[in-house]
Amino acid sequence: MKYRIVTNNPLAKKEFHNVCFIEGSYEDVLLKIRDLVYEGLDLISHPLGASMRMLYSPYRSIVVGQKNEAIDLFHIEIIENSIMNYRKNLEGRKIDWVHAEDYALIDNELLKSTLEDLEFSFNKGI
Amino acid sequence: MKLELRRIHIKDIQFGKTTKVKDGVLTVNKEELINKLKDDERIKDIKVDVARPGEKVRIIPVKDVIEPRVKIEGSGNGFPGVSTKMAQLGEGKVNILYGAAIVTVGDIVGFQEGVIDMWGEGAKWTPFSKTYNLVLDITPVEGLDPHSHEATVRLAGLKAAEFVGKAGRNVEPNEVLTYEIGSHAEETKKYPNLPKVLYVEMLISQGLLHDGYIYGVNSQKILPTLLHPNEELDGAVISGNCVAACDKITTYQHQNNSVILDLYAQHGKTLNFMGVILAPELTTLEGKFRTCDYTAKLCKMIGVDGVIISEEGYGNPDSDLLMICKRLENAGIKTVLITDECSGRDGKSQPLADTAKEAVAVVSGGNVSHVVTLPPADKVIGNAEAIATLAGGWDGALLEDGTLMCELNAVIGATSEIGYHYCTAKLY
Repeated sequence: MKYRIVTNNPLAKKEFHNVCFIEGSYEDVLLKIRDLVYEGLDLISHPLGASMRMLYSPYRSIVVGQKNEAIDLFHIEIIENSIMNYRKNLEGRKIDWVHAEDYALIDNELLKSTLEDLEFSFNKGI
Repeated sequence: MKLELRRIHIKDIQFGKTTKVKDGVLTVNKEELINKLKDDERIKDIKVDVARPGEKVRIIPVKDVIEPRVKIEGSGNGFPGVSTKMAQLGEGKVNILYGAAIVTVGDIVGFQEGVIDMWGEGAKWTPFSKTYNLVLDITPVEGLDPHSHEATVRLAGLKAAEFVGKAGRNVEPNEVLTYEIGSHAEETKKYPNLPKVLYVEMLISQGLLHDGYIYGVNSQKILPTLLHPNEELDGAVISGNCVAACDKITTYQHQNNSVILDLYAQHGKTLNFMGVILAPELTTLEGKFRTCDYTAKLCKMIGVDGVIISEEGYGNPDSDLLMICKRLENAGIKTVLITDECSGRDGKSQPLADTAKEAVAVVSGGNVSHVVTLPPADKVIGNAEAIATLAGGWDGALLEDGTLMCELNAVIGATSEIGYHYCTAKLY
C-alpha cells in the first residue's frame, strides 16, 4: 500500500480501505497531515481545494505516501501555508453544514479523480 | 491562421414564432429550442427565460455563460469534440450575436453559488449584467448521477448557443474584427526586434464540477498544450467547473479571452504574440510538478522573452501559478501573473495561498472577500433557495427585507483572472 487517505469524510471511509479516518473537522485533517509530513511521509495531494467555496466544506480528504528518511521541506511549506490559509478564510465565515451531504459527495469525487490520476498517470498501484 | 469575428449587435431578445435576428432584435422560438434540447433523454424539464440589462432580475445558481455564434466559412461549427464533429478551429468567418448570451442554471449541488444581478449594485460587479441573457433552467430526470447531470447541463448550454447562433447566419454584421497570426518563423521574420511573448492560461482540472475541456478532451488528462490563439477565440475551450463563481472562466470568456485580445492588439507593435499554452491545474503535487516543468520547457523551446500567466480558481492552483513563475524567471524569461486576491474583508491579509520572491509582476483581478450588499430582486430566475446559500456564512448576512450581504466570491466573473470584468486598480 503506497498511499493512505487521511479524511473526515464518511463517504470516503465507506468507499476506500486504506483510510486514516479522523473523527473531527477539516482543520483536524490538516493538522494530522502536518504531523505525518513532519514524520517524513510524502504529501501526495494538495491540502486545499481549487475554490473558496470548497474551504467551507465540513469534509476533506488528502492523500499521503510512504515514509522517507528525510523530511521534505517543500511539503512542510505547503501544509503549513495551507493551515494558515484555511484559518484565515474561516475567520469571517462558518462551515456550511446545511450542504454537508453535497460537500461529502464532491470531496469524494475529487478524491476519486486524484486516485485515478495517480493510478493512470504515474502507473502506481493504490 | 485568419479568423473573422463578425459582430451582429443585439439590442433585445424576444420570444416569437421563428428564431431570427432582425434590426438587432433576436427572436427565439422557445418551444423549438426546448424540443431540440429535450432530444437529450436525461433532461426532464427546461424553463427558458430572458433577463435584460436594468431589469430587477437575479439569476442563480449560474453554471456557465456561452456566446451564441455560427460559423459561416471555415471548418468546425459549434464546439467540435463536444457538441459537434471534430474539426480544426481557428480559421474562417464567424457570425456572432454580440450582446446576447446563453446562461445555464442548474442546481447540481446545493452549495453552488454564482449570481448575476441585472440591475443596481450587483450589476456593477458582473460582466453578464450587460448582456441580453437567454436563461435555461435545466431539470434532469430523477436518479441521474452527478457526473451525468453536470454533462447534461453543460451540453444543453452549448447546443442552445449553436441553435440560437444559427439565427445570425445570413445577417450582415455591424463590425468585423480580423485576427491573423502566421507561423512562428513568419512572424519572427516580420518582427525580428520585438520581444516574443506567450500566454499561459491555467485551467482548473480536478474532477466533478472542477473541469475544463479542450476540443472535448478533459484537461485533467493532458500535458500542457500549445494552441493558436484563434482556436480559443473560435470555441476550442469549454468550461466545466461551477464552484469558483467569481474567478471561473466561463465558456463566453474563453470565446472572448481578454488576455488573447489584448495581446493581439499589441502584436506587431510592442510584441510578437507566439500563442497560448493551456496548463491544467491538477490536485497531486507530482502532477503539479509535471505541468509546471512541462510549461516552462515549452516556453524555453519556443524561445520566448516574456510570458503572461493567468490562473483559474484559488487555493491549490496558487502553487502551480508560482511554481511556473519561479521556473520561468529563473530561466531568464520575464513573467507577469494575473490572479485575484483572497485578502480578507479589509483587504489586508496575504492575498494568495502561496508566495514566491520571483513573482515580481502581479496583476490583481480584485479581492474575492470584498463584501457587497445586494437588495432583493423583483424576479429570481433559477432557484430562489440558493440565495440563502449565497448569503450564508455569517450572522446577519440575510436581512428581513431580503437584502443580502455576500462576498464577491459568489458573483459570476466578479474577480476574473483573465481580466474580463469591471474591477480595476486606482493609484492614490
